Amino acid sequence: MDFLNPVINGFSVVLEPTNLLYCLVGVVIGMLIGVLPGLGPAATIAILLPLTYGVEPVTAIIMLAGIFYGAQYGGTITSVLLRLPGEASSVVTVFDGYQMARQGRAGTALGLAAIGSFVGGTAAIIGLTFLAPIVAGFALDFGPPEYSALALLGILLVATISSGARAKALVAAAIGLLLATVGRDMFTGESRFTFGSMQLADGIDFVPIAMGIFGLGEILYNLEERHRAAKAPSKVSNVWPSRGDLKQASGAVGRGSVLGFFLGILPGGGATIASMASYAMEKKRARQPERFGKGAPEGVAGPETANNAAATSSFIPLLTLGIPANATMALMFGALLIQGVQPGPQLVEQNPDLFWGVVNSMYIGNILLLIMSLPLVGIFVRILRVRAAILAPITALITLLGAYTINNSMFDVTLVVVFGIVGYLMKKFGFEPGPLVLAFVLGELLENSLRRSLLMFGGDATGFLTRPISATLLVVFVLVAFLPAIRTFIAKRKGGAGAVTTTNNIEEKV
Amino acid sequence: MKHFPTRRAVLGTASAFTLMALTACGGNVAGGAANTSNYPSGPVTLTVGQAAGGSTDLIARALAEGATESLGAPMPVVNKPGANGALATKEVAGKPADGQELVLLNASLITITPLAVSADEAVNIDDLDVIAGLSQDDYVLVASTDSGFKSFEDVTGAGRSVTFGTTGVGTGSQLAQTVLFKQANVNGTDIPFDSGKPALTAVMGNQVELATIQLGEAMPQIEAGKVTPLLVFSEERNSFLPDVPSAKEAGYDVPVAQYRAVAAPKGTPQEVKDKLLASFQEAFRTDAYKEFNEKNMLTPKEITGEEVVTEWKGYAAKYKELVEKHGISLSGNK
Repeated sequence: MDFLNPVINGFSVVLEPTNLLYCLVGVVIGMLIGVLPGLGPAATIAILLPLTYGVEPVTAIIMLAGIFYGAQYGGTITSVLLRLPGEASSVVTVFDGYQMARQGRAGTALGLAAIGSFVGGTAAIIGLTFLAPIVAGFALDFGPPEYSALALLGILLVATISSGARAKALVAAAIGLLLATVGRDMFTGESRFTFGSMQLADGIDFVPIAMGIFGLGEILYNLEERHRAAKAPSKVSNVWPSRGDLKQASGAVGRGSVLGFFLGILPGGGATIASMASYAMEKKRARQPERFGKGAPEGVAGPETANNAAATSSFIPLLTLGIPANATMALMFGALLIQGVQPGPQLVEQNPDLFWGVVNSMYIGNILLLIMSLPLVGIFVRILRVRAAILAPITALITLLGAYTINNSMFDVTLVVVFGIVGYLMKKFGFEPGPLVLAFVLGELLENSLRRSLLMFGGDATGFLTRPISATLLVVFVLVAFLPAIRTFIAKRKGGAGAVTTTNNIEEKV
Repeated sequence: MKHFPTRRAVLGTASAFTLMALTACGGNVAGGAANTSNYPSGPVTLTVGQAAGGSTDLIARALAEGATESLGAPMPVVNKPGANGALATKEVAGKPADGQELVLLNASLITITPLAVSADEAVNIDDLDVIAGLSQDDYVLVASTDSGFKSFEDVTGAGRSVTFGTTGVGTGSQLAQTVLFKQANVNGTDIPFDSGKPALTAVMGNQVELATIQLGEAMPQIEAGKVTPLLVFSEERNSFLPDVPSAKEAGYDVPVAQYRAVAAPKGTPQEVKDKLLASFQEAFRTDAYKEFNEKNMLTPKEITGEEVVTEWKGYAAKYKELVEKHGISLSGNK
């Protein structure tokens, strides 16, 4: 029962009025930006990072987490009603959701999505609750060699699994690694790529990069895209799905929860991939696949469950290992660092209030979302009418102001503008910004841990293989690195059936 | 084509914002330049070269809170982290010498950092007027429980090479240990961590056998019995750890501690300095400030500015000599 004590204490943290309020604020903002196409959770969190500076760490992270999973709910609304996915993770919901709305079953689609999201989210939190203390049990066994192996694996997975072109993802990751080398060398005190500037002596801060690439870059990019005028949304009625619909969707919700949970843990995975995988899975399993695209309830319930489960489970690697699984988690990582909290295996033990406070806030947040998501649909849809010409300058100004307030530094503002332009150009030329930011975060960890390990081993690299955790991680690394080659080999011999088993293999290990 | 006006608009917003910020600063400077009798003429800013929440920042905030009332002006604490505090210090040193801008100094920036970084990144204490010394933050050498070291004799008698964590290159933690091990003829590998916390965690997990950490940081784990304290580096025993011998007692010449002081730009009028000193002394007397020191294991060292300069210069010379004598290089290790 000792194990449950901190969990229960975590609830008392969440139930403090301030924390409840911030949780509510977080999920409302999340739903709001989920409705707005373009402005994603990563951008919003980047922009709001400085705001969290003045509040308690728990409160700050509760709010930011609320934004993240709240956006998964919000994104559904416009997908179903307007055929306009608010989030990348709701793109597949359009196929069947919009068809259902056209058949006058918009309410059913939204209801199914909300219920699915709730179930998926809750299932993932329960998983998180039980998995985290197990991982944390190994906390002190995580030394520099383990972190090197973990960072190496993380960067590889980010670059290979993320959506978009693999070559471009690798290029972006390489740039991120390069940027991470700027600043004073941790081991010799030598300045690297600082060009004699004191401002760069400590390297480039994570926050301006994130705010520039995700915040300003997104804003600039979205201005270029012409927003479609909001059409009159379909009428929403009969929000509670019928018994038959529920029965039809329940399998999809269950499978979506499990699939989303595992894909969310994988570095480079996350909500978008989970929703797509779930859709593909449902379609493959269905007895009449031709129903998909024509308003199949499973086509809405599955992906919506999976994206929320993944959004929640992607907190696991961050909170238990200090390894962000996707770009939004990298921002959470930054937010924790700003608060003076080092995410890692020690977090559960050293900061139980923070850890369990945040985890338990997700139960509350999901309930809030379930209650709110349907009555507020009409209001959120109206927000779509605000013109980008009004919204964009305001958000840009907030971003720059926020960048200044973190370190009271004009230099940071300049950095945000520079990285804003970089982020805009990247998007324009089809480079995902995620791998850059993640590689930037992990690059520093990789370099420092690797050099620290080699000092510990007296320069003998085989030392990595003598420690059980780092050796296991390195084996997984090799497996992932050669996975494409293995796959083609098997495909040649068996005619392409073996791919699934190898994928499962990684999911279990990570 | 479409994005051109847009980008210009955003840049325009940014530059307008820059202008606003600049003019705001200008106003401040002009306000404080006149005569000294009506000092302070507005908020007295205390700049900290470390991030918010760290021990230096906490000291600045405790001091500012205590001094505000007798000074008769608010004393906002502004964090400008960068280059171990060199960035903030150089910036304040370049401000008008009217006492409206102060900086919280870490001794290591003056005494140790120059041993590890290039000359143009180092800070010269002669560019500043030191107002008052604040406190002493001691370093303690701790060992992991798995290492089996119960005292420093165990380390010297082990007859093998040890691994030790430091809180970074050019820190007191690194200097103290490298010099100590040289003097004690112990072979050790120096492994720098980002700061005290990760170094302490590494000792707890026996990733490194030893580490030198600031007392306030190490104390909870020492009390919990998860790390063993071997030596303190202060010249005398520390009152918070009365059973742990000092390095000097053990026969080693490594007096290393972190000291902190408040300074103003060079050429600040004497009356202004006196007024500031008086209000700091007022702060030292408050119970809240005393409690703060106690809680953070800080030993008060409330000496005058002149004493601070003499002592710190003495330490700088001493460290330089020690490092040269033992052929130690803080940078370029390995």
